[in-house]
Amino acid sequence: MTGRPGSAETAGVQEDGTIAASGHTAPSREDSTGPAPVVALRGVTKRYGNGTLAVQGLDLDITTGSFVSLLGPSGCGKSTVLRMVAGLSPLTAGGIAWPRAAGRPPKLGFVFQEPTLMPWKTAIDNVALPLRLEGVAKAERHRRAREMLDLVGLSDFANSYPRELSGGMRMRVSIARALVTEPEVLLLDEPFAALDEITRFRLNNDLLRLWESRRFTAVFVTHSVFESVYLSQRVVVMAANPGRLHADLPIAAPARRDEAFRTSPDYAALCRTVSEALERAMKA
Amino acid sequence: MTPPDDAPGRERRILGLPPGTWPRILAPLVVGLLLLGGWEWAVRHFAVPAYILPGPVAIARTLVADWPTLSGSLAVTLRITVLALLVATAAGLALSILFSQSKWVEMTFLPYAVMLQVTPVVAIAPLIIIWVDNIQASLLICAWIVAFFPVVSNTTIGLNSTDRNLLDLFRLYGATRWQTLVHLRLPAAMPFFLAGLRISGGLSLIGAIVAEFVAGAGGASSGLAYRILESGYQLQIPRMFAALALISFSGVLIFLALSLVSHLMLRRWHESALRKDH
Repeated sequence: MTGRPGSAETAGVQEDGTIAASGHTAPSREDSTGPAPVVALRGVTKRYGNGTLAVQGLDLDITTGSFVSLLGPSGCGKSTVLRMVAGLSPLTAGGIAWPRAAGRPPKLGFVFQEPTLMPWKTAIDNVALPLRLEGVAKAERHRRAREMLDLVGLSDFANSYPRELSGGMRMRVSIARALVTEPEVLLLDEPFAALDEITRFRLNNDLLRLWESRRFTAVFVTHSVFESVYLSQRVVVMAANPGRLHADLPIAAPARRDEAFRTSPDYAALCRTVSEALERAMKA
Repeated sequence: MTPPDDAPGRERRILGLPPGTWPRILAPLVVGLLLLGGWEWAVRHFAVPAYILPGPVAIARTLVADWPTLSGSLAVTLRITVLALLVATAAGLALSILFSQSKWVEMTFLPYAVMLQVTPVVAIAPLIIIWVDNIQASLLICAWIVAFFPVVSNTTIGLNSTDRNLLDLFRLYGATRWQTLVHLRLPAAMPFFLAGLRISGGLSLIGAIVAEFVAGAGGASSGLAYRILESGYQLQIPRMFAALALISFSGVLIFLALSLVSHLMLRRWHESALRKDH
Protein backbone atom coordinates (compact mmCIF):
# COMPACT_ATOMS: atom_id res chain seq x y z
CA MET A 1 0.00 0.00 0.00
CA THR A 2 2.90 2.32 -0.61
CA GLY A 3 4.05 4.31 -3.58
CA ARG A 4 5.04 2.49 -6.68
CA PRO A 5 7.61 3.49 -9.21
CA GLY A 6 6.12 4.66 -12.45
CA SER A 7 2.94 6.16 -11.12
CA ALA A 8 2.73 9.70 -9.92
CA GLU A 9 0.38 8.76 -7.18
CA THR A 10 -0.39 9.11 -3.58
CA ALA A 11 -0.85 5.88 -1.80
CA GLY A 12 -3.57 4.33 0.15
CA VAL A 13 -5.29 5.55 3.22
CA GLN A 14 -4.12 8.92 4.35
CA GLU A 15 -3.05 8.77 7.92
CA ASP A 16 -4.09 12.25 8.85
CA GLY A 17 -6.57 10.40 10.89
CA THR A 18 -9.34 12.89 11.52
CA ILE A 19 -12.47 10.87 11.68
CA ALA A 20 -15.35 13.23 11.59
CA ALA A 21 -18.13 12.66 14.04
CA SER A 22 -20.87 13.27 11.53
CA GLY A 23 -22.00 15.27 8.56
CA HIS A 24 -20.83 18.83 8.64
CA THR A 25 -17.07 18.77 8.70
CA ALA A 26 -14.62 20.91 6.91
CA PRO A 27 -12.16 18.84 4.94
CA SER A 28 -9.12 18.41 7.09
CA ARG A 29 -6.60 17.99 4.32
CA GLU A 30 -7.13 21.08 2.23
CA ASP A 31 -5.10 20.99 -0.94
CA SER A 32 -3.13 24.16 -1.23
CA THR A 33 -3.26 24.02 -4.99
CA GLY A 34 -6.58 22.68 -6.23
CA PRO A 35 -10.06 24.07 -5.70
CA ALA A 36 -12.11 22.98 -2.71
CA PRO A 37 -13.45 19.46 -3.05
CA VAL A 38 -17.13 19.14 -3.79
CA VAL A 39 -17.38 16.28 -1.35
CA ALA A 40 -15.06 15.05 1.39
CA LEU A 41 -15.32 11.60 2.93
CA ARG A 42 -13.68 11.09 6.31
CA GLY A 43 -13.33 7.69 7.97
CA VAL A 44 -16.44 6.50 6.19
CA THR A 45 -17.38 3.09 7.54
CA LYS A 46 -20.32 0.86 6.73
CA ARG A 47 -21.26 -2.23 8.63
CA TYR A 48 -24.38 -4.05 7.52
CA GLY A 49 -26.93 -5.53 9.89
CA ASN A 50 -25.52 -9.02 9.39
CA GLY A 51 -22.11 -7.86 10.63
CA THR A 52 -20.39 -7.60 7.24
CA LEU A 53 -17.90 -4.75 7.20
CA ALA A 54 -18.53 -3.34 3.71
CA VAL A 55 -16.37 -0.23 3.95
CA GLN A 56 -13.84 0.73 6.58
CA GLY A 57 -12.23 4.10 7.29
CA LEU A 58 -12.47 5.55 3.82
CA ASP A 59 -10.98 9.02 3.31
CA LEU A 60 -11.57 10.61 -0.06
CA ASP A 61 -11.75 14.14 -1.45
CA ILE A 62 -13.37 14.64 -4.79
CA THR A 63 -12.38 17.77 -6.65
CA THR A 64 -15.12 19.93 -8.05
CA GLY A 65 -15.69 19.29 -11.73
CA SER A 66 -13.45 16.23 -11.87
CA PHE A 67 -14.16 12.79 -13.27
CA VAL A 68 -13.25 10.14 -10.70
CA SER A 69 -13.62 6.38 -11.03
CA LEU A 70 -13.96 4.00 -8.13
CA LEU A 71 -12.41 0.74 -9.32
CA GLY A 72 -12.26 -2.54 -7.49
CA PRO A 73 -13.19 -6.19 -7.39
CA SER A 74 -16.76 -7.09 -6.58
CA GLY A 75 -17.44 -6.90 -2.88
CA CYS A 76 -15.02 -4.02 -2.25
CA GLY A 77 -17.88 -1.73 -1.28
CA LYS A 78 -17.55 0.72 -4.16
CA SER A 79 -21.28 0.76 -4.84
CA THR A 80 -21.91 1.11 -1.11
CA VAL A 81 -19.69 4.18 -1.05
CA LEU A 82 -21.69 5.68 -3.89
CA ARG A 83 -24.98 4.98 -2.14
CA MET A 84 -23.68 6.59 1.04
CA VAL A 85 -22.59 9.67 -0.88
CA ALA A 86 -26.08 9.80 -2.42
CA GLY A 87 -27.62 9.60 1.04
CA LEU A 88 -29.37 6.35 0.18
CA SER A 89 -27.53 4.35 2.82
CA PRO A 90 -26.68 5.57 6.33
CA LEU A 91 -23.07 5.60 7.53
CA THR A 92 -22.05 3.41 10.45
CA ALA A 93 -19.17 5.75 11.31
CA GLY A 94 -17.36 8.68 9.78
CA GLY A 95 -18.72 11.62 7.88
CA ILE A 96 -19.44 12.97 4.44
CA ALA A 97 -19.06 16.72 4.05
CA TRP A 98 -20.06 19.04 1.22
CA PRO A 99 -17.74 22.00 1.82
CA ARG A 100 -18.93 24.11 -1.12
CA ALA A 101 -22.60 24.10 -0.24
CA ALA A 102 -22.26 24.98 3.44
CA GLY A 103 -22.30 21.31 4.36
CA ARG A 104 -25.56 20.52 2.61
CA PRO A 105 -25.47 18.09 -0.30
CA PRO A 106 -25.88 19.83 -3.64
CA LYS A 107 -28.15 18.56 -6.38
CA LEU A 108 -27.24 14.99 -7.19
CA GLY A 109 -27.92 12.76 -10.13
CA PHE A 110 -27.75 8.98 -9.87
CA VAL A 111 -27.45 6.43 -12.65
CA PHE A 112 -28.09 2.85 -11.57
CA GLN A 113 -26.67 -0.37 -12.96
CA GLU A 114 -30.02 -1.01 -14.60
CA PRO A 115 -31.75 1.75 -16.54
CA THR A 116 -34.40 1.75 -13.78
CA LEU A 117 -37.11 3.36 -15.89
CA MET A 118 -40.82 3.31 -15.17
CA PRO A 119 -42.18 0.96 -17.86
CA TRP A 120 -45.59 2.67 -17.86
CA LYS A 121 -44.12 6.05 -18.78
CA THR A 122 -42.76 7.24 -22.10
CA ALA A 123 -39.11 8.22 -22.43
CA ILE A 124 -39.87 11.91 -22.03
CA ASP A 125 -42.01 11.36 -18.94
CA ASN A 126 -39.27 9.21 -17.45
CA VAL A 127 -36.72 11.95 -18.03
CA ALA A 128 -39.09 14.55 -16.59
CA LEU A 129 -39.71 12.55 -13.40
CA PRO A 130 -37.25 14.43 -11.12
CA LEU A 131 -38.77 17.74 -12.23
CA ARG A 132 -42.26 16.42 -11.64
CA LEU A 133 -41.30 15.46 -8.10
CA GLU A 134 -39.95 18.98 -7.64
CA GLY A 135 -43.30 20.35 -8.73
CA VAL A 136 -42.14 21.91 -12.01
CA ALA A 137 -45.08 22.71 -14.31
CA LYS A 138 -45.78 20.29 -17.13
CA ALA A 139 -44.85 22.50 -20.08
CA GLU A 140 -41.59 23.53 -18.48
CA ARG A 141 -40.57 20.02 -17.42
CA HIS A 142 -41.35 18.65 -20.86
CA ARG A 143 -39.30 21.39 -22.48
CA ARG A 144 -36.32 20.58 -20.29
CA ALA A 145 -36.77 16.83 -20.67
CA ARG A 146 -36.89 17.20 -24.45
CA GLU A 147 -33.70 19.21 -24.31
CA MET A 148 -32.00 16.39 -22.41
CA LEU A 149 -33.30 13.77 -24.82
CA ASP A 150 -31.85 15.80 -27.70
CA LEU A 151 -28.56 15.88 -25.86
CA VAL A 152 -28.39 12.09 -25.55
CA GLY A 153 -29.52 11.64 -29.17
CA LEU A 154 -33.01 10.35 -28.53
CA SER A 155 -35.10 13.20 -29.92
CA ASP A 156 -37.08 10.81 -32.08
CA PHE A 157 -37.96 8.48 -29.24
CA ALA A 158 -39.53 10.89 -26.76
CA ASN A 159 -42.87 9.12 -26.93
CA SER A 160 -41.54 5.57 -26.96
CA TYR A 161 -42.05 3.31 -24.01
CA PRO A 162 -38.96 1.72 -22.41
CA ARG A 163 -39.80 -1.72 -23.79
CA GLU A 164 -39.62 -0.28 -27.30
CA LEU A 165 -36.04 0.90 -26.74
CA SER A 166 -32.79 -1.04 -26.92
CA GLY A 167 -30.60 -1.53 -23.84
CA GLY A 168 -28.28 1.29 -24.85
CA MET A 169 -31.15 3.66 -25.52
CA ARG A 170 -32.70 2.90 -22.15
CA MET A 171 -29.41 3.73 -20.48
CA ARG A 172 -29.34 7.02 -22.39
CA VAL A 173 -32.80 7.83 -21.07
CA SER A 174 -31.54 7.01 -17.59
CA ILE A 175 -28.57 9.38 -18.03
CA ALA A 176 -30.84 12.10 -19.41
CA ARG A 177 -33.07 11.73 -16.36
CA ALA A 178 -30.07 12.02 -14.02
CA LEU A 179 -28.93 15.21 -15.76
CA VAL A 180 -32.30 16.92 -16.18
CA THR A 181 -32.09 18.68 -12.82
CA GLU A 182 -28.62 19.99 -13.81
CA PRO A 183 -26.93 18.34 -10.84
CA GLU A 184 -23.55 19.41 -9.56
CA VAL A 185 -22.56 15.83 -8.93
CA LEU A 186 -23.41 12.82 -11.08
CA LEU A 187 -23.05 9.43 -9.42
CA LEU A 188 -22.88 6.43 -11.74
CA ASP A 189 -23.01 2.85 -10.46
CA GLU A 190 -21.57 0.58 -13.17
CA PRO A 191 -24.07 2.00 -15.65
CA PHE A 192 -22.67 0.29 -18.74
CA ALA A 193 -21.81 -3.11 -17.27
CA ALA A 194 -24.75 -4.87 -18.90
CA LEU A 195 -24.21 -3.41 -22.38
CA ASP A 196 -22.34 -4.89 -25.32
CA GLU A 197 -18.91 -3.49 -26.06
CA ILE A 198 -19.84 -1.41 -29.09
CA THR A 199 -22.68 0.28 -27.26
CA ARG A 200 -20.51 0.73 -24.20
CA PHE A 201 -17.74 2.50 -26.15
CA ARG A 202 -20.28 4.80 -27.73
CA LEU A 203 -21.87 5.64 -24.41
CA ASN A 204 -18.40 6.20 -22.90
CA ASN A 205 -17.78 8.85 -25.55
CA ASP A 206 -21.19 10.40 -25.09
CA LEU A 207 -20.75 10.55 -21.33
CA LEU A 208 -17.36 12.27 -21.75
CA ARG A 209 -18.87 14.77 -24.17
CA LEU A 210 -21.67 15.54 -21.72
CA TRP A 211 -19.19 15.92 -18.90
CA GLU A 212 -17.04 18.29 -20.99
CA SER A 213 -19.98 20.45 -21.97
CA ARG A 214 -21.86 20.53 -18.68
CA ARG A 215 -19.00 20.31 -16.18
CA PHE A 216 -20.59 18.36 -13.41
CA THR A 217 -18.49 16.30 -11.05
CA ALA A 218 -18.67 12.66 -12.03
CA VAL A 219 -18.10 9.74 -9.68
CA PHE A 220 -18.09 6.57 -11.70
CA VAL A 221 -18.12 3.11 -10.15
CA THR A 222 -16.80 0.36 -12.40
CA HIS A 223 -14.98 -2.95 -12.36
CA SER A 224 -13.45 -2.34 -15.77
CA VAL A 225 -9.85 -1.09 -15.81
CA PHE A 226 -10.20 0.01 -19.43
CA GLU A 227 -13.34 1.98 -18.84
CA SER A 228 -11.96 3.72 -15.76
CA VAL A 229 -8.78 4.78 -17.56
CA TYR A 230 -10.63 5.92 -20.66
CA LEU A 231 -13.07 8.09 -18.76
CA SER A 232 -11.43 9.47 -15.68
CA GLN A 233 -8.92 12.01 -14.55
CA ARG A 234 -8.34 9.94 -11.46
CA VAL A 235 -8.84 6.30 -10.60
CA VAL A 236 -9.37 5.30 -6.99
CA VAL A 237 -8.58 1.61 -6.55
CA MET A 238 -10.35 -0.15 -3.71
CA ALA A 239 -9.58 -3.45 -1.98
CA ALA A 240 -12.10 -5.82 -0.49
CA ASN A 241 -12.72 -7.43 2.92
CA PRO A 242 -13.17 -4.89 4.32
CA GLY A 243 -13.72 -2.37 1.54
CA ARG A 244 -11.02 0.26 1.74
CA LEU A 245 -8.98 2.64 -0.33
CA HIS A 246 -5.95 0.95 -1.86
CA ALA A 247 -4.43 3.34 -4.39
CA ASP A 248 -5.21 6.73 -5.83
CA LEU A 249 -3.95 7.16 -9.38
CA PRO A 250 -4.19 10.33 -11.44
CA ILE A 251 -4.67 9.62 -15.13
CA ALA A 252 -2.50 11.96 -17.15
CA ALA A 253 -4.15 11.76 -20.53
CA PRO A 254 -4.94 14.14 -23.37
CA ALA A 255 -7.86 16.46 -22.85
CA ARG A 256 -9.50 15.04 -25.94
CA ARG A 257 -10.32 11.38 -25.43
CA ASP A 258 -11.54 9.53 -28.47
CA GLU A 259 -10.95 6.36 -30.44
CA ALA A 260 -7.41 7.50 -31.21
CA PHE A 261 -6.72 7.64 -27.48
CA ARG A 262 -8.35 4.25 -26.95
CA THR A 263 -5.83 2.64 -29.31
CA SER A 264 -2.77 4.66 -28.28
CA PRO A 265 0.27 3.23 -26.46
CA ASP A 266 -0.27 5.84 -23.71
CA TYR A 267 -3.66 4.35 -23.01
CA ALA A 268 -2.23 0.85 -22.94
CA ALA A 269 0.49 1.91 -20.51
CA LEU A 270 -2.02 3.62 -18.22
CA CYS A 271 -4.21 0.55 -18.28
CA ARG A 272 -1.26 -1.60 -17.31
CA THR A 273 -0.43 0.66 -14.34
CA VAL A 274 -4.03 0.63 -13.12
CA SER A 275 -4.33 -3.08 -13.76
CA GLU A 276 -1.26 -3.77 -11.64
CA ALA A 277 -2.64 -1.62 -8.86
CA LEU A 278 -5.90 -3.55 -9.04
CA GLU A 279 -4.06 -6.84 -8.91
CA ARG A 280 -2.20 -5.74 -5.79
CA ALA A 281 -5.49 -4.59 -4.31
CA MET A 282 -6.95 -8.03 -4.86
CA LYS A 283 -4.01 -9.67 -3.09
CA ALA A 284 -3.93 -7.11 -0.29
CA MET B 1 -28.08 3.81 -32.44
CA THR B 2 -30.49 1.80 -34.53
CA PRO B 3 -34.24 2.03 -34.14
CA PRO B 4 -35.73 -0.95 -32.32
CA ASP B 5 -36.64 -3.78 -34.67
CA ASP B 6 -39.91 -4.35 -32.88
CA ALA B 7 -41.32 -0.98 -33.88
CA PRO B 8 -45.03 -1.42 -34.57
CA GLY B 9 -45.79 -1.46 -38.27
CA ARG B 10 -49.02 -1.92 -40.21
CA GLU B 11 -50.42 -5.31 -39.47
CA ARG B 12 -52.55 -7.54 -41.64
CA ARG B 13 -56.09 -7.85 -40.35
CA ILE B 14 -59.05 -10.10 -41.10
CA LEU B 15 -62.40 -8.50 -40.26
CA GLY B 16 -60.62 -6.06 -37.99
CA LEU B 17 -58.75 -8.69 -35.99
CA PRO B 18 -55.14 -9.80 -36.39
CA PRO B 19 -54.95 -13.26 -38.06
CA GLY B 20 -53.46 -14.85 -34.93
CA THR B 21 -56.61 -14.06 -32.94
CA TRP B 22 -59.01 -16.06 -35.10
CA PRO B 23 -58.01 -19.59 -34.02
CA ARG B 24 -58.46 -18.49 -30.42
CA ILE B 25 -62.06 -17.58 -31.18
CA LEU B 26 -62.89 -20.31 -33.67
CA ALA B 27 -61.40 -23.36 -31.96
CA PRO B 28 -63.49 -23.13 -28.76
CA LEU B 29 -66.52 -22.17 -30.82
CA VAL B 30 -66.27 -25.28 -33.00
CA VAL B 31 -65.84 -27.53 -29.96
CA GLY B 32 -68.85 -25.87 -28.33
CA LEU B 33 -71.05 -26.38 -31.39
CA LEU B 34 -69.98 -30.03 -31.71
CA LEU B 35 -70.77 -30.61 -28.05
CA LEU B 36 -74.20 -28.99 -28.30
CA GLY B 37 -74.95 -30.94 -31.49
CA GLY B 38 -73.92 -34.21 -29.83
CA TRP B 39 -76.05 -33.38 -26.82
CA GLU B 40 -79.13 -32.63 -28.94
CA TRP B 41 -78.57 -35.79 -30.97
CA ALA B 42 -78.20 -37.97 -27.85
CA VAL B 43 -81.34 -36.54 -26.23
CA ARG B 44 -83.38 -37.22 -29.37
CA HIS B 45 -81.82 -40.57 -30.17
CA PHE B 46 -82.27 -42.03 -26.68
CA ALA B 47 -85.59 -40.20 -26.18
CA VAL B 48 -84.52 -38.72 -22.83
CA PRO B 49 -87.49 -37.03 -21.15
CA ALA B 50 -87.16 -33.26 -20.72
CA TYR B 51 -87.59 -33.44 -16.93
CA ILE B 52 -84.34 -35.41 -16.75
CA LEU B 53 -82.22 -33.82 -19.44
CA PRO B 54 -83.61 -31.31 -21.93
CA GLY B 55 -81.75 -30.78 -25.21
CA PRO B 56 -80.19 -27.43 -26.15
CA VAL B 57 -83.07 -26.64 -28.49
CA ALA B 58 -85.64 -27.10 -25.74
CA ILE B 59 -83.55 -24.98 -23.40
CA ALA B 60 -83.26 -22.22 -26.01
CA ARG B 61 -87.03 -22.31 -26.55
CA THR B 62 -87.64 -21.99 -22.80
CA LEU B 63 -85.14 -19.14 -22.64
CA VAL B 64 -87.16 -17.24 -25.25
CA ALA B 65 -90.56 -18.16 -23.82
CA ASP B 66 -89.64 -17.34 -20.21
CA TRP B 67 -87.52 -14.33 -21.09
CA PRO B 68 -89.75 -11.81 -19.26
CA THR B 69 -89.29 -13.64 -15.93
CA LEU B 70 -85.70 -14.68 -16.53
CA SER B 71 -84.49 -11.26 -17.69
CA GLY B 72 -85.90 -9.72 -14.53
CA SER B 73 -84.00 -12.24 -12.42
CA LEU B 74 -80.87 -11.73 -14.49
CA ALA B 75 -81.03 -7.99 -13.81
CA VAL B 76 -81.41 -8.62 -10.07
CA THR B 77 -78.41 -10.96 -9.96
CA LEU B 78 -76.23 -8.74 -12.15
CA ARG B 79 -77.02 -5.71 -10.03
CA ILE B 80 -75.80 -7.47 -6.88
CA THR B 81 -72.76 -8.80 -8.74
CA VAL B 82 -71.67 -5.45 -10.15
CA LEU B 83 -72.28 -3.62 -6.87
CA ALA B 84 -70.33 -6.28 -4.96
CA LEU B 85 -67.46 -6.03 -7.44
CA LEU B 86 -67.37 -2.24 -7.16
CA VAL B 87 -67.41 -2.27 -3.38
CA ALA B 88 -64.86 -5.12 -3.29
CA THR B 89 -62.56 -3.20 -5.64
CA ALA B 90 -62.79 0.04 -3.68
CA ALA B 91 -62.45 -1.62 -0.29
CA GLY B 92 -59.72 -3.99 -1.50
CA LEU B 93 -57.71 -1.17 -3.01
CA ALA B 94 -58.05 0.99 0.09
CA LEU B 95 -57.11 -1.88 2.38
CA SER B 96 -54.04 -2.85 0.38
CA ILE B 97 -52.84 0.76 0.26
CA LEU B 98 -53.24 0.85 4.03
CA PHE B 99 -51.28 -2.41 4.29
CA SER B 100 -48.49 -1.08 2.11
CA GLN B 101 -48.10 2.05 4.23
CA SER B 102 -47.39 0.19 7.43
CA LYS B 103 -45.98 -3.26 8.07
CA TRP B 104 -47.79 -3.20 11.42
CA VAL B 105 -51.22 -2.66 9.92
CA GLU B 106 -50.56 -5.47 7.45
CA MET B 107 -49.32 -7.84 10.16
CA THR B 108 -52.34 -7.06 12.31
CA PHE B 109 -55.17 -7.22 9.83
CA LEU B 110 -54.07 -9.54 7.03
CA PRO B 111 -54.84 -12.70 9.07
CA TYR B 112 -58.43 -11.51 9.48
CA ALA B 113 -58.76 -10.86 5.77
CA VAL B 114 -57.49 -14.39 5.18
CA MET B 115 -59.92 -15.76 7.75
CA LEU B 116 -62.80 -14.04 6.01
CA GLN B 117 -61.63 -15.53 2.73
CA VAL B 118 -61.22 -19.14 3.85
CA THR B 119 -64.54 -19.33 5.69
CA PRO B 120 -67.05 -20.70 3.15
CA VAL B 121 -69.65 -18.07 2.39
CA VAL B 122 -72.42 -20.70 2.41
CA ALA B 123 -71.68 -21.18 6.09
CA ILE B 124 -71.98 -17.54 7.07
CA ALA B 125 -74.65 -16.45 4.60
CA PRO B 126 -77.58 -17.62 6.80
CA LEU B 127 -76.21 -15.54 9.70
CA ILE B 128 -75.81 -12.46 7.56
CA ILE B 129 -79.31 -12.87 6.17
CA ILE B 130 -80.69 -13.11 9.72
CA TRP B 131 -78.68 -10.13 10.99
CA VAL B 132 -79.23 -7.77 8.09
CA ASP B 133 -82.86 -6.83 7.59
CA ASN B 134 -82.54 -5.64 4.06
CA ILE B 135 -82.26 -8.69 1.80
CA GLN B 136 -80.43 -6.77 -0.95
CA ALA B 137 -77.87 -5.52 1.54
CA SER B 138 -77.28 -8.98 2.94
CA LEU B 139 -76.79 -10.43 -0.55
CA LEU B 140 -74.36 -7.64 -1.31
CA ILE B 141 -72.38 -8.34 1.85
CA CYS B 142 -72.12 -12.05 1.03
CA ALA B 143 -70.95 -11.39 -2.53
CA TRP B 144 -68.50 -8.77 -1.30
CA ILE B 145 -66.93 -11.12 1.25
CA VAL B 146 -66.17 -13.62 -1.50
CA ALA B 147 -64.97 -11.06 -4.00
CA PHE B 148 -62.73 -8.71 -2.11
CA PHE B 149 -59.84 -10.94 -1.13
CA PRO B 150 -58.16 -11.41 -4.54
CA VAL B 151 -57.99 -7.64 -4.97
CA VAL B 152 -56.50 -7.17 -1.51
CA SER B 153 -53.91 -9.90 -1.71
CA ASN B 154 -52.85 -9.20 -5.29
CA THR B 155 -52.64 -5.44 -4.91
CA THR B 156 -50.73 -5.80 -1.65
CA ILE B 157 -48.15 -8.01 -3.35
CA GLY B 158 -47.96 -5.52 -6.21
CA LEU B 159 -47.47 -2.54 -3.91
CA ASN B 160 -44.77 -4.37 -1.97
CA SER B 161 -42.80 -5.54 -4.99
CA THR B 162 -41.95 -2.13 -6.41
CA ASP B 163 -38.50 -1.92 -8.02
CA ARG B 164 -36.08 -1.06 -5.19
CA ASN B 165 -33.92 1.12 -7.41
CA LEU B 166 -36.92 3.18 -8.43
CA LEU B 167 -37.82 3.57 -4.76
CA ASP B 168 -34.25 4.75 -4.13
CA LEU B 169 -34.57 7.17 -7.02
CA PHE B 170 -37.73 8.66 -5.55
CA ARG B 171 -35.98 8.94 -2.18
CA LEU B 172 -33.00 10.65 -3.81
CA TYR B 173 -35.28 13.33 -5.22
CA GLY B 174 -37.03 13.78 -1.90
CA ALA B 175 -40.40 12.43 -3.04
CA THR B 176 -43.15 12.49 -0.44
CA ARG B 177 -44.98 9.32 0.61
CA TRP B 178 -47.94 10.46 -1.43
CA GLN B 179 -45.85 11.09 -4.56
CA THR B 180 -44.20 7.70 -4.20
CA LEU B 181 -47.60 6.05 -3.89
CA VAL B 182 -49.26 7.83 -6.79
CA HIS B 183 -46.40 8.00 -9.25
CA LEU B 184 -44.60 4.76 -8.45
CA ARG B 185 -46.24 2.15 -6.25
CA LEU B 186 -49.78 2.26 -7.61
CA PRO B 187 -48.79 2.16 -11.30
CA ALA B 188 -46.29 -0.62 -10.56
CA ALA B 189 -49.02 -2.58 -8.76
CA MET B 190 -51.51 -2.08 -11.59
CA PRO B 191 -50.91 -5.45 -13.36
CA PHE B 192 -51.29 -7.28 -10.03
CA PHE B 193 -54.45 -5.34 -9.20
CA LEU B 194 -55.98 -6.08 -12.59
CA ALA B 195 -55.20 -9.80 -12.27
CA GLY B 196 -56.95 -9.76 -8.90
CA LEU B 197 -59.87 -7.87 -10.38
CA ARG B 198 -60.45 -10.54 -13.01
CA ILE B 199 -60.66 -13.21 -10.32
CA SER B 200 -62.90 -11.01 -8.17
CA GLY B 201 -65.29 -10.44 -11.08
CA GLY B 202 -66.05 -14.15 -11.33
CA LEU B 203 -66.15 -14.53 -7.56
CA SER B 204 -68.65 -11.72 -7.03
CA LEU B 205 -71.05 -13.54 -9.37
CA ILE B 206 -70.48 -16.78 -7.46
CA GLY B 207 -70.95 -14.94 -4.17
CA ALA B 208 -74.20 -13.37 -5.36
CA ILE B 209 -75.55 -16.74 -6.56
CA VAL B 210 -74.60 -18.56 -3.37
CA ALA B 211 -76.20 -15.88 -1.23
CA GLU B 212 -79.35 -15.98 -3.37
CA PHE B 213 -79.52 -19.75 -2.91
CA VAL B 214 -79.38 -19.39 0.85
CA ALA B 215 -81.86 -16.52 0.87
CA GLY B 216 -84.00 -18.17 -1.83
CA ALA B 217 -84.39 -21.31 0.26
CA GLY B 218 -86.34 -19.05 2.61
CA GLY B 219 -88.38 -17.75 -0.31
CA ALA B 220 -86.97 -14.24 -0.14
CA SER B 221 -85.22 -13.49 -3.38
CA SER B 222 -85.88 -13.08 -7.06
CA GLY B 223 -82.50 -13.57 -8.71
CA LEU B 224 -81.38 -16.33 -11.07
CA ALA B 225 -80.49 -18.69 -8.24
CA TYR B 226 -84.01 -18.37 -6.94
CA ARG B 227 -85.34 -19.23 -10.40
CA ILE B 228 -83.21 -22.37 -10.40
CA LEU B 229 -84.53 -23.41 -6.98
CA GLU B 230 -88.08 -22.65 -8.01
CA SER B 231 -87.75 -24.56 -11.27
CA GLY B 232 -86.33 -27.50 -9.35
CA TYR B 233 -89.33 -27.60 -7.06
CA GLN B 234 -91.65 -27.42 -10.04
CA LEU B 235 -89.65 -29.92 -12.12
CA GLN B 236 -89.29 -27.24 -14.81
CA ILE B 237 -85.89 -28.60 -15.78
CA PRO B 238 -85.55 -26.73 -19.11
CA ARG B 239 -86.05 -23.44 -17.26
CA MET B 240 -83.46 -24.52 -14.71
CA PHE B 241 -80.99 -25.03 -17.55
CA ALA B 242 -81.98 -21.72 -19.12
CA ALA B 243 -81.21 -19.89 -15.86
CA LEU B 244 -77.95 -21.82 -15.58
CA ALA B 245 -76.99 -20.80 -19.11
CA LEU B 246 -77.65 -17.17 -18.26
CA ILE B 247 -75.40 -17.41 -15.21
CA SER B 248 -72.59 -18.95 -17.27
CA PHE B 249 -72.93 -16.35 -19.99
CA SER B 250 -72.86 -13.56 -17.41
CA GLY B 251 -69.70 -15.01 -15.88
CA VAL B 252 -67.95 -15.26 -19.23
CA LEU B 253 -69.06 -11.75 -20.14
CA ILE B 254 -67.73 -10.32 -16.87
CA PHE B 255 -64.43 -12.09 -17.42
CA LEU B 256 -64.14 -10.81 -20.99
CA ALA B 257 -65.04 -7.27 -19.98
CA LEU B 258 -62.43 -7.20 -17.21
CA SER B 259 -59.85 -8.77 -19.52
CA LEU B 260 -60.52 -6.00 -21.99
CA VAL B 261 -60.12 -3.35 -19.29
CA SER B 262 -56.87 -5.00 -18.24
CA HIS B 263 -55.59 -5.16 -21.80
CA LEU B 264 -56.44 -1.54 -22.51
CA MET B 265 -54.65 -0.35 -19.39
CA LEU B 266 -51.51 -2.43 -19.84
CA ARG B 267 -51.09 -2.77 -23.59
CA ARG B 268 -48.51 0.00 -23.90
CA TRP B 269 -46.07 -1.33 -21.36
CA HIS B 270 -46.71 -4.61 -19.61
CA GLU B 271 -45.36 -7.97 -20.77
CA SER B 272 -48.66 -9.73 -20.13
CA ALA B 273 -50.45 -7.55 -22.67
CA LEU B 274 -47.90 -8.01 -25.45
CA ARG B 275 -48.11 -10.54 -28.20
CA LYS B 276 -45.19 -12.93 -28.12
CA ASP B 277 -44.38 -13.12 -31.82
CA HIS B 278 -42.54 -10.26 -33.44
